Amino acid sequence: MERIDQIKKEFFEHASQVSMPEHLEELRIRFLGRKGKVTEAFAMIKDIAPEVRPRFGSGLNQLKKELEAHYEELKARLEASTESDERLDVTLPGRRPFTGRKHPLLKIADEIKDIFHSFGFTIEDGPEIETDHYNFEALNIPRSHPARAMQDTLYITEDVVLRTHTSPVQIRVMEERKPPIRMIAPGRVYRRDTPDATHSPFFHQVEGLVVGESVTFADLKGVIQAFAHRMFGKEARVRFRPSFFPFTEPSAEYDVWFNGKWMEISGAGMVHPNVFRSVGIDPEKYSGYAFGMGIDRVAMLKYNIRDIRLFFDNDMRFLRQF
Amino acid sequence: MKISYNWLKDYLDIDLSPEELAEQITNAGLEVEEIITTVQALNNVVVGKILSCEKHPDADKLSICKVSDGEEEFPVICGAPNVAVGQSIPFAKVGARLPVGLKIKKAKIRGVESIGMICSREELALEDHSDGIWALENAPAPGTDFNEVLKEHSDVIFDLFITANRADCFSHIGIAREIAAFVDKAIRLPEVTVKENATKKITEALSVDIEYSAGCPRYAARVIENVSIGESPEWLRERLEAVGLRPINNVVDVTNYVLYELGQPLHAFDYDTIAGSRIIVRSSKAGETFVTLDDKERTLPENTVMICDAEKAVAIGGIMGGQNSEVSSKTTTILLESAYFDPRHIITSSRKLGLMTDASQRFEKGTDYANVIFALDRAAAMIAELAGGDILKGHLDAYPHPIAPVTVELDLSRVNKILGSALEDAEIIELLSRVQLNFDKGRVSVPSYRHDIKLDIDLIEEVARLKNYDNLPTSVYEPLSLEQPVRLREVTFRLLRDALTHVGLQEVFTNSMISEKQLIALEEKEPVKILNPISDDLAFMRQSIYSGLLPVVSYNVNRHQNMIRLFEIGRVFNRSKEELPEQPTRIAIVLSGLRAPQNWTVGEEAVDFYDLKGVLEGFFNEIHLDNIRFILYSESSLYQKHHAAEIFYGNIKVGSCGLFSKETCKRFGINQAVYGAELDYDVIEKSLNRELKYQTIPRFPYIEKDVAFVVDKTMTAEEVMSLIRKYGGRLLTDIEVFDVYEGEKIASGKKSIAFRLRFQSLERTLKDSEVEQVFRKIIKKADQVHGIPIRDQ
Repeated sequence: MERIDQIKKEFFEHASQVSMPEHLEELRIRFLGRKGKVTEAFAMIKDIAPEVRPRFGSGLNQLKKELEAHYEELKARLEASTESDERLDVTLPGRRPFTGRKHPLLKIADEIKDIFHSFGFTIEDGPEIETDHYNFEALNIPRSHPARAMQDTLYITEDVVLRTHTSPVQIRVMEERKPPIRMIAPGRVYRRDTPDATHSPFFHQVEGLVVGESVTFADLKGVIQAFAHRMFGKEARVRFRPSFFPFTEPSAEYDVWFNGKWMEISGAGMVHPNVFRSVGIDPEKYSGYAFGMGIDRVAMLKYNIRDIRLFFDNDMRFLRQF
Repeated sequence: MKISYNWLKDYLDIDLSPEELAEQITNAGLEVEEIITTVQALNNVVVGKILSCEKHPDADKLSICKVSDGEEEFPVICGAPNVAVGQSIPFAKVGARLPVGLKIKKAKIRGVESIGMICSREELALEDHSDGIWALENAPAPGTDFNEVLKEHSDVIFDLFITANRADCFSHIGIAREIAAFVDKAIRLPEVTVKENATKKITEALSVDIEYSAGCPRYAARVIENVSIGESPEWLRERLEAVGLRPINNVVDVTNYVLYELGQPLHAFDYDTIAGSRIIVRSSKAGETFVTLDDKERTLPENTVMICDAEKAVAIGGIMGGQNSEVSSKTTTILLESAYFDPRHIITSSRKLGLMTDASQRFEKGTDYANVIFALDRAAAMIAELAGGDILKGHLDAYPHPIAPVTVELDLSRVNKILGSALEDAEIIELLSRVQLNFDKGRVSVPSYRHDIKLDIDLIEEVARLKNYDNLPTSVYEPLSLEQPVRLREVTFRLLRDALTHVGLQEVFTNSMISEKQLIALEEKEPVKILNPISDDLAFMRQSIYSGLLPVVSYNVNRHQNMIRLFEIGRVFNRSKEELPEQPTRIAIVLSGLRAPQNWTVGEEAVDFYDLKGVLEGFFNEIHLDNIRFILYSESSLYQKHHAAEIFYGNIKVGSCGLFSKETCKRFGINQAVYGAELDYDVIEKSLNRELKYQTIPRFPYIEKDVAFVVDKTMTAEEVMSLIRKYGGRLLTDIEVFDVYEGEKIASGKKSIAFRLRFQSLERTLKDSEVEQVFRKIIKKADQVHGIPIRDQ
């Protein structure tokens, strides 16, 4: 039993000296290690008189527990003290990676596409340089039509134009596929407009087309309303006004109530029978609606941008805000 | 098109405020773009009377006036040519602030005191330009607050956007008719009494022959003698100014007034210039030229409608009059024309001539052929009244093939079928009748001014419009039960843009129309040129995305942006033999400036080729496109020689990349190194592996061995690696370059490349000895077969 007290005394003497991790490790090896004093003492048990053996054994167990606990405490204290010595300046800036981001206009286009895709629309694509036929004739805009003046056109040749709207994709899809059709076609379009805050000679539209049996004007209003709710929130109201497009009849202009104002988004209407005829769809059997929207316009509304040119200057100080 | 609220009230009783009216008009499909109030409230402006008026002793053009405000007299200097004793005028007293921004103070002008100002209409913001002061007619007593006078002149102007189909709405009567339909009232047409005071009959003075009725179905005329050309009265001038027209003289002003009232363009000729008392309407002759009112000689396109006398042409029908027959201050006899021209003829000639007028724009959309005589009489009566003429007895009306009224068949059930509504037949019929579309036994008669109604669908639109779109039912949108597949192109587009942003590139979006200077061709192909560009800066279509990206680099460098990492996906255009040009999609990347964002822990290093290559490798890895090879590319002048690579996927060229040459940078005004890559979207799309399959992760440890070879400077790392691979066999799973050294420690013309080789097996733990054996073999073969020694330690 003296031996136990002696080990204990020696341990605490040494322990009081410990100030560095190495010393602590030394202490552990000397007392608690495989060849340490406590282990040695356990080995002595067999030499001890049987009558005192149990008491010695339990005393030794208790000693081991006590020393281990003290060791752990020392270790924790030591770790705490070494950590607090080194102070980081957490206010210094970190090493930031350069993150890639998408263009605000294309982010809005992605959003619009996602909404219509979730509505069951396919996403279609068509050439930006189009024939007069697809851009005008097939859309019920013959050469002598006054509406040709509405869209001041950029020509490549007399019969080839920079498309003035995404509507030619309607024609291409209807030529290719039979109803029912539900599609959108986002893309770039061109007009002979001098650039200013609200005009750009190129801008971006999403065309929509639905053709089937008994598709109605009420359905058109419904899909636009559903879109406005998804895009602008549940409070968004939609207003429809009569308008004129040669390829739809009745034609409508629709506005969305956003940020306390009616904002004009674009046009829509029921597909004109002449358009159906030009692609060989029977207007007596099928009906359909088409709509368009300006992606640039929606993006300007959403982000509160007043000058369309900001999108195409590509100023990093602008782009990195999105 | 500007519409005056006061003017509208001539034809319709309106109970709505201007704002309410604007909303009503917009709902009718005639969008009100702006509401303009013509009069602004004034302070310190009263009616003044000019008591005396003398020449300023030191200035020719100035007068010294004595003006009374009813109580006091003020000396006022006035520079207007029309100032005279006895006039009642708007008198701005000291302290007045005029709507044009002028503040009235006491002043000395050339030594003479001036207290107050005599105003013109311009200074009161009533018109854009005045030639003199405003001499009031029937003025109230001096001292009356001028706002009282203005009340009579106050008006609200609606600026309307009228769609091309609604030709009938390009007039006040037309708009009144529309409003009437929505408020369910009737309009009042102006009362016209033609006093034919002259003793002569028109048949004694004129004959009209239409030789080209395809271009001009109807031509009517009257002749008015003894007119005196002069200024129009104030009310008329004011109305024309309100709708944005400049008053000219009483005859021209009347024709313009009737144009804006009824929508019928009229033309007044000086009758004495018309040879042979004849009007002949014919088509233009090949190569014919004509001098129009604006003094321009024009070559006439074929099939242009010409108005001629016995000897010569006097007007381009429906487009513009001729200089040779213009009404002047000396004109005494007027030949007044009211006609209906064929819209297609007008649109074609107007386009070809590049000449658009108020008249041509109305004729090309279609005017009211049934209203030709009413408009003629209206104008003749007004001219007689305002210019004091005598109207010859009778009118001429050449109308060889009268136009048959239009009727359209309508199956009433189709209305609800298209609109998704449940309108009763009676309601449909009633709605249509509000715009004079009268339904009778399955057919609807269309008024002569509604050129837009040809089919039943046009009638259905009218029903919807009159019902108001917002009052029609709206379906609850039900998505299709079957999910539509996403098109491959869209999947690729998202995938690639995600990958490009993941490797730290900012997406940009640039114009595809560029200047000749911006043209960059990566292949030998001709650019697409725009026939009628907006400007020289936008005259070509880009052949490379670089054409748009490099200006963005320059723009941002000039704005002190020090880290530029951009990409864009878009179409490029090349001329082709097909009808349409080639329009492939390309991906372009540019890097310039710093390698990493500025930070206190790192130095500022500029990007180099390996930053670009790293971005590309990261991108290809992200989209799982392995097997990409870079091969030195020295042919292109776009890139700096020996600093560019062609990129291959297997044997297919994907694109190119490199450091832009100095000349290229200079062309875009850039003074720092710019690296770029342009890739073929379609090749990438076709090569994508869309079905990824799991690969076993090795369970057994690997062994790594390092070796450095000394090779000729011109030898590429790829060449060394391929021979390592050749002798490394199956166990060699990976090679990494960890150092490249050139310098004094090795022979000149040589370099050392250090590789770390990894050996691993999927089936078992490799033994050191077997790896050592392979490693030795590589070194031995490199030396013995290829003459490539290892570097001495």
